[in-house]
Amino acid sequence: MAFTYKGYAGKYLRVDLTRGKSVELELPKEWARNYIGGSGIGARILYDEVPPEVGPLSPENLLIFATGPITGTVYPPSGRYCVVMRSPLTGIWGEAHSGGHFGPELKYAGYDLIVIQGRASKPVYLWIDEDRIELRDAEKLWGRNVVETTNMLLEELGDPEVRVACIGQAGENLVRFACIMNDYFRAAGRTGAGAVMGSKNLKAIAVRGSKDVEVANFDRVWELTEDAHARYTGGYWGKASHEALYRFGTENLVTWENEIGRLPTKGHSTGVFDYVDEIGPERFEREFIVHRRACMNCRIQCKKVSRVAQGKYEGTVSEGPEYETVVALGSNCLIRDFPAILRANHLCNLYGMDTISCGGTVSFAMECFERGALSESEIGFPLRWGDGDAMVRLVELIARRKGIGEVLADGVRAAARRMGKGSQRWAIHVKGMEVSGQDGRSHQSVGLTHAVAVRGADHLRSLSSLDELDFKPTIIERYGKAKAKAIGDRLSMKYKGILVKDMEDLYAIVDALITCKYGTMWPPIFYLDDYSKLLPAVTGIEEFARIEEVRAAAERIVNLKRAFNARLGLDRKDDTLPDRFLKEPMPRGPGKGKVVDLKPMLDEYYRERGWDVRTGLQKQDTLERLGLADVAEDLAGHGKLAK
Amino acid sequence: MPYVYCDPKLCTGCRACELVCSGVHERVFNPRKARIHVVRREPATDFAIACHQCENPPCAAVCPVGAIRKLRSGLVEVDAARCIGCGACVEACPFGAITVVNGKAVKCDLCGGDPACVKQCMPEALKLATPAQVAAGKR
Repeated sequence: MAFTYKGYAGKYLRVDLTRGKSVELELPKEWARNYIGGSGIGARILYDEVPPEVGPLSPENLLIFATGPITGTVYPPSGRYCVVMRSPLTGIWGEAHSGGHFGPELKYAGYDLIVIQGRASKPVYLWIDEDRIELRDAEKLWGRNVVETTNMLLEELGDPEVRVACIGQAGENLVRFACIMNDYFRAAGRTGAGAVMGSKNLKAIAVRGSKDVEVANFDRVWELTEDAHARYTGGYWGKASHEALYRFGTENLVTWENEIGRLPTKGHSTGVFDYVDEIGPERFEREFIVHRRACMNCRIQCKKVSRVAQGKYEGTVSEGPEYETVVALGSNCLIRDFPAILRANHLCNLYGMDTISCGGTVSFAMECFERGALSESEIGFPLRWGDGDAMVRLVELIARRKGIGEVLADGVRAAARRMGKGSQRWAIHVKGMEVSGQDGRSHQSVGLTHAVAVRGADHLRSLSSLDELDFKPTIIERYGKAKAKAIGDRLSMKYKGILVKDMEDLYAIVDALITCKYGTMWPPIFYLDDYSKLLPAVTGIEEFARIEEVRAAAERIVNLKRAFNARLGLDRKDDTLPDRFLKEPMPRGPGKGKVVDLKPMLDEYYRERGWDVRTGLQKQDTLERLGLADVAEDLAGHGKLAK
Repeated sequence: MPYVYCDPKLCTGCRACELVCSGVHERVFNPRKARIHVVRREPATDFAIACHQCENPPCAAVCPVGAIRKLRSGLVEVDAARCIGCGACVEACPFGAITVVNGKAVKCDLCGGDPACVKQCMPEALKLATPAQVAAGKR
């Protein structure tokens, strides 16, 4: 029987690796209505099926691959999927998103989600050829990198159009920030999904499909698509996006962020990098970009193929690096050797590691070395700030868990605990996740974002570009004239609780649909009203034509993810930042002298969310208003509901 | 005769053309029902292939039931009523630009002269161009 709502395949797969069995199930209608898709539906499944006693690397942890209702449709961009699990890096909520072509192919194969549980007794891969589901031997693939694995699978399956998501050696070695790579170089990067996959002895998922994706109101979706195309490619924002993201990719941000003094440099000690031009977009384009690429059905088109044509790293051809990578493996390690950054980026791609956490770990180790907490004999070579070659060597050691890499592969929080010697002061993380490429001292709202984001120090759950670059017309449109001046001031903490809450709601929908942060974060073109038009047209769920219903779904998703962490014991004390941002004033640049003024922002954020300001715990009436009475009851049982 | 030409230097492999095409012709979204297909070769090649509207179309020459004709307008057209879905045209086309969907041969029909894929090609890799125009662009 056909599924009630359109946009969805209406079916999902459950794969039990322990028993070597898979079953095809109907997608519960309520999941679509209440959580839309993507990490929204993922949150419902993870909350229901992964109780606190299930450890991240135990067979009972789930690894959920999820698409959303627009995945595979013509509404741009529609090439994304996400992975949801309990994170082995942080021990809490884990989620990672990726573009490319894998997500849509899963939908064309006839599935909205794959829910994987258990652990195979030996390495396997999952082959989804529409209705034929097989767990196949992957002994030959084990120990291979991402490119080798993908090539071998395409050859074995005899079809170059099969889409592959896999882990490299980092995932096999349970590097806590290993990622899942798809379509060669697209990464479901953060929170260590690759290690969960490795712990399950699941090397890869290969998928092929030829089924239709239908929408509820074709003509309306077509009209909205033409409108979206025009807004992505034309007008002020379209032009700005073309000049920035199409031309340089996210690498473009390196210059901007340095100008506003929030380009993380030297272990987040400052936000200004003196050699920014050497790792900036003009040099990237002039010397390294050889081809421009895009994820499926995208109108922003930020992907770049890069090549190092000469020198020590000659012959390095990869996709990226992204802005975050250039920060993490570049300025934040004080490195201006661009070819070395490209090499380390490629190694992360091949081994399958999150470049942000990997770079954060390298910069942590550099600071430990410079301050005497790590010696040359422990590392095997000197690890000075700015030494690109040393970084490349260390990235290899981490991926292979060799030497000092064995300690660092668990991330900075765990490494600092093991190493001692005061090194926790240089472990720049929130909730165990290495801080992404922003600095809250010169952009206050991002301080709040890093502190409250559900997966740890994260830019993708609520980062606002509105105050970052003061987009006044958009700010006035969304928050009114009275607040516009304060909101637009990136150095002011005022109303940032409101701003961050609103962004988090928007991105909850973005991550459920699933669409991209480009076009929603920056350029800030699409907002909840656009998705209130799109959702009924794609799915036929008419309630979403009321924007309050879209907002309620967003809040429901945010609250459910928060509840997953609350049940694990997290509360207000965990919503904080490293002392570097709270106590050490920004030494230079436009944010000079500032620290993150976290407390007032946090208070306002909790009030906006309807959570208890003192404890950060959720309240019964808030959860009940969102249709999460069962969650309130469960939290009360764990003593984690606000009194 | 103009056809949907793809400039490989500009194509990013986003496959928006495939989705737009299957939408226009089938009112569903399914790249395998598109009349245009993107080929990606690692590490740095993307290229979309659609019918070249050949002057002497080999698909028409091999069609056993005469379902494919070169029209006076220049368009190479499949008569779906006659087509038996045998795939002889698929074998004959040197580009892989024709395929069989739901038992009938399908290929680019230029959307009646204003191809939808060209309109939504963000990097402007797709153009409606004659061989003479393509050649001029290379010079």
